[in-house]
Amino acid sequence: MPRTMNIHSHVAKMREFLQRERRMPLYGELLPLFGYRSRNAVFGALRKLEEHGFITKNRYGRIRATPLLSGCIRRLGSVQAGFPSPAEEELADTLSLDEMLIRRPDATFILTVQGDSMTGAGIMPGDMILVEKGGTPVSRDIVVAQVDDEWTLKYYIKDKNGVRLDAANPRYPSIRPRRSLNIGGIVKAVIRKYA
Amino acid sequence: MSFLNPQSWPRAILHFDGDAFFTSVEQAVHPTLKGRPVVTGKERGIIACASYEAKALGISRGLALHEARRQCPQLVVLPSDYETYSLYSKRMFHIARRYTPMVEEYSIDEGFADLTGLRRVFHASYEEIARRIQSEIQAELDITVSIGLSLSKSLAKLASKYRKPKGFTAIQGGAAIGEFLRQIPLEKVWGFGPNTVGLLTKHGLATAADFIGRPEAWAERLLGKVGRELWGELRGESLYPVSTEEKPPSCTISKCKTFTAVSSDPEFIWAKLVRNVESALIKARRHHLMAGGAAVMLRRADYRQSGLETRLSRATSASHEILPVVRLLFQELMETGAAYRSTMVILCRLVPETSLQYELFEDPVRAHRLETLNLAVDAINSRYGKHTLSLATGLFLGHHGKTDRDDQPIRKTRLLPGETARQRLKTPRLFLPV
Repeated sequence: MPRTMNIHSHVAKMREFLQRERRMPLYGELLPLFGYRSRNAVFGALRKLEEHGFITKNRYGRIRATPLLSGCIRRLGSVQAGFPSPAEEELADTLSLDEMLIRRPDATFILTVQGDSMTGAGIMPGDMILVEKGGTPVSRDIVVAQVDDEWTLKYYIKDKNGVRLDAANPRYPSIRPRRSLNIGGIVKAVIRKYA
Repeated sequence: MSFLNPQSWPRAILHFDGDAFFTSVEQAVHPTLKGRPVVTGKERGIIACASYEAKALGISRGLALHEARRQCPQLVVLPSDYETYSLYSKRMFHIARRYTPMVEEYSIDEGFADLTGLRRVFHASYEEIARRIQSEIQAELDITVSIGLSLSKSLAKLASKYRKPKGFTAIQGGAAIGEFLRQIPLEKVWGFGPNTVGLLTKHGLATAADFIGRPEAWAERLLGKVGRELWGELRGESLYPVSTEEKPPSCTISKCKTFTAVSSDPEFIWAKLVRNVESALIKARRHHLMAGGAAVMLRRADYRQSGLETRLSRATSASHEILPVVRLLFQELMETGAAYRSTMVILCRLVPETSLQYELFEDPVRAHRLETLNLAVDAINSRYGKHTLSLATGLFLGHHGKTDRDDQPIRKTRLLPGETARQRLKTPRLFLPV
């Protein structure tokens, strides 16, 4: 059976590397990436990728990603008439929605809100909130907290008498923990999806 | 020899081990369950994991659920939610990787990390780095791990098991190792099975310290290369490296279903096995894989199990091609009159769909037709529900009422907007009445 190369899997692996490291892999790094044992095989694969326009080589022989490979995280655009395309340049530093909403991916959880204690802060029943664990809240943070064994969603307020939890709904009074206060996490974002 | 210097760490190997991992994750996800006796494994009828509160009431892993409920009526019984456990597992390893790239994902709830040489980078001792990993896992994931820190993987693993839960045990230096190993019975040593322990006991050994007290050549003569390596590892010489290589993803696909009640009806047991084969093949086709081998396991009412494995002449993902082979294995294994409780099929030697190679005297047209047929079946089932269209052996399955075994984790029953039965958010969910 003739050996065939799955160019799409190679492209996918390069993209993954590019996204993770924000640079192109070195030849030595391509060996484990493609699962090859010989550098010659890597050269063969790179020649194919170059033929298909996924990469180019610069004058030092280093490989460069073309927009075809880099997709969304491309840097400056191709130089036309001496200037990079302004649109491309503007997009050079962009965040994904994930990166914008989630600062610490390992410590962030999602919680569906049931109650109406924070409607004044725009958190409606059925909304999803992103909760970050492991941080220390400051005044006016919205927290998920266990107050005297009861779980609630409230504003965390520090005043001269200690810690107080305020609702954003006049129907709920402020509460002061009597026995215990356990912060389950700090609310970092609210997501509501329509239809 | 560095071994004798009490201050030196020729290697600093960390082993971290999730405390009652599955139930701890459930308690983190459902904080209202903290402090209550929780077990998982509802869908299997056997306890897969018991929380420390449940353990305190005498409930342990492997106990039958009805027995556990009888012993402890207030027990909270949950179906296993492996998706959430895997998300927590990945995060646990991520946290360890903040400190060192050399992290080995040994299993879903335990791993090794090589901390050697990190003291200067973090301006901290190995103990402090290990404690930071432990406290970050607790602060960010709300689960606890027990930590073992020592000079080799074998010692670190023994150390993390030594104090639990939320334990921290660091062992380093000849005297400390000797003192520690005097408390470790042979069967606790990683790599000593019941046979090895039996052999060593015959030679008058009782603890791991007795083992390393013998000469190296003796260990090698008795237990071969592995014996010599373990002897070195237990004396603090790191011989097993922390392997960062990811385990190859899904090298096999297995499907195992326990019956609602034990059965000795061959037609029923065969129908169960066929259903497992169908489910496994659906999964294989979804991932564009074909099986080059298959194994069948039958488990009896008394939990004894037997299995057979075979290679297929050509890789396939068509049920009509695999079932005749599976049928042979089944007939070989099935004992008439014996009662069984579960069947399992394992598809192995998986290859991508594209690398198909026909045999010399084969009819590629038939194979192609079967492929088309299966694609059509998958298309119908994806529209009308899994197993709507299935092999007629399924008629022998009978209909049973809804039982514990049909219970799904809450993550799969209460989907978020945009989630589907097959794809859910990669972020773990918390369930709190707020």
